[in-house]
Amino acid sequence: MLYVELVLQGLVNGSMYAIVAVGLTLIYGLLRVLHVAHAGLFTLGAYITVLVTNATGSLVAGTLISMLVVGLVGMVVYRLLYEPLLAQPPYVALIASIGLFIAMGEGYRIVFGPYGSSFSSTWLTERISFGPFSMAAADLAMLLGAIALLIFLAILMGRTRLGMAWRATVTDPAMARSFGVDTIKVRYGIFFVASVFAAVAGSLVSVLNNLVEPTMGDVPSYKSLAIIVLGGLGNVGGTLLAALLLGVIEAFGTIYTGAYLDRDAIAFVFLIAVLMIRPQGLFGAR
Amino acid sequence: MLPTLGAYEVSLIVIVSVNVMLALSLNIITGLCGQVSLGHAAFFGIGAYASAVLGNLGVPFLVVLPLAGLVGCLLGLLVGLASLRVRADFLAITTMGVGFVFVGFVRKQNWLGAEMGLSNIPDHGLGDAGFVGVCLALVVAIALLSAYIKQSWLGFGFAAVADDEDTSRTLGIDAAAYKVTAFVIGTFLAGVAGATYAYFTRFLIPGAFGFGVSISILAMVIVGGVGSIWGVIVAAAALTLLPEFIRVVNDYKIFIYGVLLVLTMRLSPGGLAELVGRLPIFRRKAHQRSSGAQP
Amino acid sequence: MTDTPTNVLTLEAISVRFGGIAALTSVDMTLNQGELLGLIGPNGAGKTTLLRTVIGVVRPTQGRVFLRGDDVTSLNVDMRARRGIALTHQIVKPFRSMTVLDNVVFAAGHAKTGSVMRALGTRSRSEETQRARGLLDLVGIDRYADAFPSALPLGALKRLEVARALATDPKILLLDEPLAGLNHIEAERLADTFLRLNAGGVTMVLIEHNLGQVARICPRVVVLDNGRKIGEGATRDTLSDPAVIAAYIGKEVTHA
Repeated sequence: MLYVELVLQGLVNGSMYAIVAVGLTLIYGLLRVLHVAHAGLFTLGAYITVLVTNATGSLVAGTLISMLVVGLVGMVVYRLLYEPLLAQPPYVALIASIGLFIAMGEGYRIVFGPYGSSFSSTWLTERISFGPFSMAAADLAMLLGAIALLIFLAILMGRTRLGMAWRATVTDPAMARSFGVDTIKVRYGIFFVASVFAAVAGSLVSVLNNLVEPTMGDVPSYKSLAIIVLGGLGNVGGTLLAALLLGVIEAFGTIYTGAYLDRDAIAFVFLIAVLMIRPQGLFGAR
Repeated sequence: MLPTLGAYEVSLIVIVSVNVMLALSLNIITGLCGQVSLGHAAFFGIGAYASAVLGNLGVPFLVVLPLAGLVGCLLGLLVGLASLRVRADFLAITTMGVGFVFVGFVRKQNWLGAEMGLSNIPDHGLGDAGFVGVCLALVVAIALLSAYIKQSWLGFGFAAVADDEDTSRTLGIDAAAYKVTAFVIGTFLAGVAGATYAYFTRFLIPGAFGFGVSISILAMVIVGGVGSIWGVIVAAAALTLLPEFIRVVNDYKIFIYGVLLVLTMRLSPGGLAELVGRLPIFRRKAHQRSSGAQP
Repeated sequence: MTDTPTNVLTLEAISVRFGGIAALTSVDMTLNQGELLGLIGPNGAGKTTLLRTVIGVVRPTQGRVFLRGDDVTSLNVDMRARRGIALTHQIVKPFRSMTVLDNVVFAAGHAKTGSVMRALGTRSRSEETQRARGLLDLVGIDRYADAFPSALPLGALKRLEVARALATDPKILLLDEPLAGLNHIEAERLADTFLRLNAGGVTMVLIEHNLGQVARICPRVVVLDNGRKIGEGATRDTLSDPAVIAAYIGKEVTHA
């Protein structure tokens, strides 16, 4: 049935968006900064995964090393780029982030070439069938990976000190500090976690398409911005739902409106329409 | 006796002029009034496509210019009004969305050339020298307009809204009207720039008005120094000309853009204007006068 | 509700809720032309919220605001400001990108900035600059004229709020703790300035913890506690009201 396949495809894309957007909304909730360069870390994660996997033959090693490296890079980005700009008006950090993202994308092109790289082995394009439907193994990996990450996130946010500290800081930074929350550690921790998520998303996508190329971060960069707005800035659950919803809407939208709007535009038409009706986003608080 | 202009010189002057016009127009919205717009290329684009349509209807170039501006500012009015609904941090993303919707829409319109492009824009009939003259006149006019606005009470109001919108309201400022006005003026000028561009290249593709272009225009405003008119002009000219004069830079042009944005924000968030303002001679001058804007 | 001709401001059964918290519960208040009304009460009583409801920054959950007989409850902040209401903020909000002088010059140009078209058409600031200097002198911060707000101590910033509010030629001036951060002499001088302005015809509401000055310059007070009005009337009588005294005991009380 076409509809079910569309929904599944939409959910797969949506879960990719979700993993990226969640990191973005964690950071926004904390610092009120739109970390556009997050998508650059997404791409970095993909590159490291492919390179390490091809060098060592192990996808697991590739992914883990990628997660660790990108997590650390994320913390460095916070320290060198955002921390010095916290006192400035918000557009300063936004422009700096955009600049970093642009530089990173071009950096990948200059270092790795414009055509991209692939995995040497290809078990991931095999299709797995269950019942009347079938999916590519890579798609399934994406969905499962997303679910695993999100369970991890739920535990992190709900049960750990970092999660509670984050929630406190998002609600009221001054009060959180007076309760002894070490905002510096929270920031590094959140940037690490968010960047790890970006790396995982990048790795999953590189597996999905069996390709990593310099511009692969472009679409996630602006789409995840739209998603975090829809989800309510700083609202993790809302962002997840918005991401999945967007994935499905795009899947259907391209079929029905593809004649007069291209795919990226659909996301933003949806965003603008929602904001006009509900300025706080789908799930944002008033 | 004017120096003879070869095709290369003409194209340089025109492209720099168009970029300066775009940067100055965005400066009114983002620099003077503090409304971060990440979709300015859409107004540039709608002016360009509108001018192509009007030109094909037989409207003479000099009449097309203001009409294209009008089309730009009609879209700008819409976006300005819509921007009142959303919070400041959403504005950047909403305007980005407008840019994507514009390109995504044009891409699919066959009557606008779709992906292949629109190439039947008529000759402006002014000859190279005449066209260059018009470009330079527009740049001067827009620069003077910007300076006037900045010194007027409208500019003062923009500055207050940019600084603290809520407080400006308690002083009786209809912040909504000021924001929309900034959008209308800025997008009108972007539309005019679009017509100029269209009549020069005589070929339009949607990709020429995408997110990357919006960002480069914003980069010119930021690097020049938000609000500073001369700073924005210098930055726009420099960012356009540098890759031309340093061939080796051309391949790394975009990379350098990115790095430049990062460095400017880290070291001198007020751009060139702040950098120059820090020089000793200018610091003394700033001390002497308090009220009165410095262009 | 009968409106006497001298009634410039009426708050009718104002209730304000923030989330689960009732900041104000059914507060009535009237302000007469030419009054200098004191609005007092312990910390957290809702005094600032009440003033913010008058100017429109806060919308009441219930109740109405009348300005000279007109129901302005649904009007925007800037519309009410243009009708002659000015507010000094308890947490100061100067324009940080402008000099102290420019902050006041801008406010002084309210006639020009009231309409976008009019604002576009005028450039001259000389009149407003002169007025602004006079106002800075009036509140005693003229020596900071060319400085930026970040360089000023809190007391000076509070006085900048007052100067800026005065520059809009208000008919009703809402002052939110303008004497905080001032030493005894400065506070006395500023309070005298309020008296003079009031004598010149400006109607005022004054929130102050400095009860000494309140007793000196406000003939009438309204007392709030925990979002409700618990007292109202001639200052000396009200300050001796046992209920009012009880409200203050056990909470922080600041004297001059």
